[in-house]
Amino acid sequence: MVTAAGLVTVGVRAGDAPPGAAGVPPSSSVTASAGATTSAGATAAPPSRPVPPRRPGVGTRPRELTTGPVLPTSAPVRLDIPTLRVSTGLIGLGLQPDGTMEVPGDAATAGWYTAAPTPGSLGPAVVAAHVNLDGRPGVFTALATLRPGDTVEVARADGTVAVFAITTVQRHPKDRFPTEAVYGAIDHAGLRLITCGGDFDTARRSYRDNVVAFARLVRTERR
Amino acid sequence: MRLRTMAAVAPMLAFPLVFAAPAAAQESVQIQLDALNKSGVSGTATMTAQDNGDLTVTINARGLVPNAPHAQHIHGAANGTDFMCPDQSADKDGDGFVNTEEGLPDYGDIFVSLTTSGDTSKKSGLAVDRMPKADANGTVTYRRTIKAAELPAGTVKFLKDLHIVQHGIDVNDNDKYDLEGLGESTFAKSLGVSGIPEEATNPASCGMVSGAAAGSMPAGGVETGDGSTEPGGQPVLVILGGLAAAAAGVVLRRRPRTDS
Ligand SMILES: [Cu+2]
Repeated sequence: MVTAAGLVTVGVRAGDAPPGAAGVPPSSSVTASAGATTSAGATAAPPSRPVPPRRPGVGTRPRELTTGPVLPTSAPVRLDIPTLRVSTGLIGLGLQPDGTMEVPGDAATAGWYTAAPTPGSLGPAVVAAHVNLDGRPGVFTALATLRPGDTVEVARADGTVAVFAITTVQRHPKDRFPTEAVYGAIDHAGLRLITCGGDFDTARRSYRDNVVAFARLVRTERR
Repeated sequence: MRLRTMAAVAPMLAFPLVFAAPAAAQESVQIQLDALNKSGVSGTATMTAQDNGDLTVTINARGLVPNAPHAQHIHGAANGTDFMCPDQSADKDGDGFVNTEEGLPDYGDIFVSLTTSGDTSKKSGLAVDRMPKADANGTVTYRRTIKAAELPAGTVKFLKDLHIVQHGIDVNDNDKYDLEGLGESTFAKSLGVSGIPEEATNPASCGMVSGAAAGSMPAGGVETGDGSTEPGGQPVLVILGGLAAAAAGVVLRRRPRTDS
């Protein structure tokens, strides 16, 4: 899709970006189709939906209002992102007293937000992990390098593995976080991977931006 | 990266350690209400599981019989059966209307009665004195939080399998439920109540799940880094040109060959 779109490679290297930038301009999005007419979801989703319906008849009815495969609710236990060589356990994350989301206590663990749908079921599942912490690269150190179509696998307590395809990777200032796009209602089984990016504000000891990778369920495996 | 082999256990003062056992997901299910029996009703509803297990139900529907009470229920089951809303083919007796009994095989039994006060069990299914009344424009606006203890077991877990059905139509356009319209309700009669018009019990709308959202939205961004390393990746920016007129500011990055 890259050549078809008429690419101009300007060869901006990471070193040209602001220090600590994860490589995505604020509020920009990276999609397979970029400026083309189709949506990000349409480009990254496979042409067919190979997941069998979860129960006989489900998904084949003409009046189904949701799109794509959907799994029943089941807690996630493990996260694998093959292209980033990420394989990690998942803990539960709730809200802190100030209303922000809890985050994992170490660099090597990712967490899922328990006040959102479980990965694979209808709606936006949310997984957060550090880009770095205490001198260590975090699980999501390279999250901003994910590309549309890359797969993300979430093993669930019910023995299924929900396989997602990245649709878009975006970077947003934390003070303009796209709350509705990340946590709001969607008509499919989605997944959002969140970490930090952009400039590091040394005074506040905080990155100015969040990198959010959006994905949707494409199939289910059983292991 | 080889993070999978790392067991980072250094105390992090800036970030709370979280070992929360994953609870059942707390989510908000969106429902699209579509007309049944050519009622002209449309609307939306939400069912939101609260962190204490309570369920908040909201309904906004229009096109209902004005100034009339509308029995409304959550239909379905908490056993994995995914019921659907019926279409006109469910009209087995061919009278032109899908009545409540004819709809049951599709949308399931009454699971929760969406009354305005008091009992919410199936027993209150026809408690029209506690059902919401449409305003003079035929709009029903409903919001109620039902306590966890009053919900059937498995309600939250199987939330996405449930449906909302509103009842009450006016086929002879006299702005009321009357026996002149469709005669006596066979459904009410089957429950031992005589003299209820069929108009009062026939479904006016049925809602299926159209989407889901987080049950509660975190404030702002997420604190997932302390700046202590360079983020991995060293991405190469590629800017789209040509056809991609709208691509200004849109970048594609190549994945680096090296790993951090
Ligand atoms: Cu009903």
